[in-house]
Amino acid sequence: MWGRGAGRAARCSLLFLTGRPRSKIQKLFSTSSVLSTEKDKSTTSTGSTNEVASKSPEGAAETPKQKLLNIIGNMKVEVTTKKKFQQLKTQEIKKQATDKLEGLDSSSTFQGPAEDAQRSKPLNRELVEAVSAVASSLPRSKEQTESELLAQLRRHEETTDKQRKGGTINIRNVISEMSIKRQSPAQRGVMISNRISLAMEEDGQRLKPERLSSRSFDSRRSLREGKRLNIFTKAPPETESALKTVSSPTIWDLEFAKEIAAVTDQPPRNGFEEMIQWTKEGILWEFPIDNEAGMDDDAEFHEHIFLEKHLKDFPKEGPIRHFMELVICGLSKNPYLSVKQKIEHIEWFRNYFDEKEEFLQEM
Amino acid sequence: MAAAALRWALRAAGQVLPSPCTRQVRSYFVDWRMLRDVKRRKLAYEYADERLRINAIRKNTILPKELQEVADKEIAALPRDSCPVRIRNRCVLTSRPRGVKRRWRLSRIVFRHFADHAQMSGIQRAMW
Repeated sequence: MWGRGAGRAARCSLLFLTGRPRSKIQKLFSTSSVLSTEKDKSTTSTGSTNEVASKSPEGAAETPKQKLLNIIGNMKVEVTTKKKFQQLKTQEIKKQATDKLEGLDSSSTFQGPAEDAQRSKPLNRELVEAVSAVASSLPRSKEQTESELLAQLRRHEETTDKQRKGGTINIRNVISEMSIKRQSPAQRGVMISNRISLAMEEDGQRLKPERLSSRSFDSRRSLREGKRLNIFTKAPPETESALKTVSSPTIWDLEFAKEIAAVTDQPPRNGFEEMIQWTKEGILWEFPIDNEAGMDDDAEFHEHIFLEKHLKDFPKEGPIRHFMELVICGLSKNPYLSVKQKIEHIEWFRNYFDEKEEFLQEM
Repeated sequence: MAAAALRWALRAAGQVLPSPCTRQVRSYFVDWRMLRDVKRRKLAYEYADERLRINAIRKNTILPKELQEVADKEIAALPRDSCPVRIRNRCVLTSRPRGVKRRWRLSRIVFRHFADHAQMSGIQRAMW
């Protein structure tokens, strides 16, 4: 747990860490250090050393040693402000260190330089120098701390080698895609107020506003952007072949199906099953009653009413036109026929009058 | 109406339903008159549209009379059984031409028989 003074310092350092852009491995180690440490002093020191580590590898290519020493010099100032607290704990930690020197179990020691080692394998000389500088900066005995740090370095190198072979790539990719969710104070207030107000209501109602807020955040990133993680393998395309075989059922298949149906259809056990059977057969209507059941008229009202466009082939004047207009008037008021039937009706008349044209012209 | 009655008659006559049913299935017409009635109903259904359209031309004051006379001849040329007037609403079970209640399509005797045996849904002896 956090102590009062040490907690504040650690929190400041951690916030500083979260703000800075740093490599993925350092992210891993920083979180692990936070979770694993137990002592307050260790947390403060880890916080401060993490700062060191975050800054050092970025300038590692050019003048690592100089930068390291500068940073460690700055570090000294920070550490000395918490002198009293550290002095209280030094003896305890010394005892722990002596016990665990050979065991190398505790992770309460510094992991900053360990990050250096893990990051840059060929820069061992500089690491050792860094180790010595760090050891000198701290109030403990120099030799002890140096040996501890080097042991830690070796351990971490082994673990990172194992991880690399095992495939850390997946984790790296996953974490690289993740970003820290930042809530504006307004949204925070909304969420808190929601929780307070809906605490007494059912769980289902409480979940809804949370879900909406999370969805609003995800909408920024589309589902198809970003690198592929290769976690899932593609499903084999078996569905096409399955569909092809079904398309041609033989007579024997139908007979077989009928036999199975005859055997499996037991008489209904109760009134409900009887009603279900009747509904399937079509004897009983489906409830709630749908007034348009069985009627698949997709045509709009204007197709039913405005039928003058079908009168194009008819003569524009004369008794036939008059007659056809009456026919159309009657059809437009007929709700029982479909549009197709109405068109067929008009077409029949067209054919009839075409046949009778010769007769009509004689008159 | 005729079409529905026709279909109903066909079903009663001998159509095999796809699902196994435990109801009464008749595989014959009660008599020849019933069969002829069934034929008339079928033909009436087939020629219903044509008859309607030709009659629309005939029963007209707008079109010329010559055209209407031609239509008269045409409709007379259609098969005689195609007119719906020849259909008789016979009893479905006994083929009785008279005393048939339209709602149940049964003659009065059959109706009475079933009602007394409590096989007619919602029917009760009247008493007031």
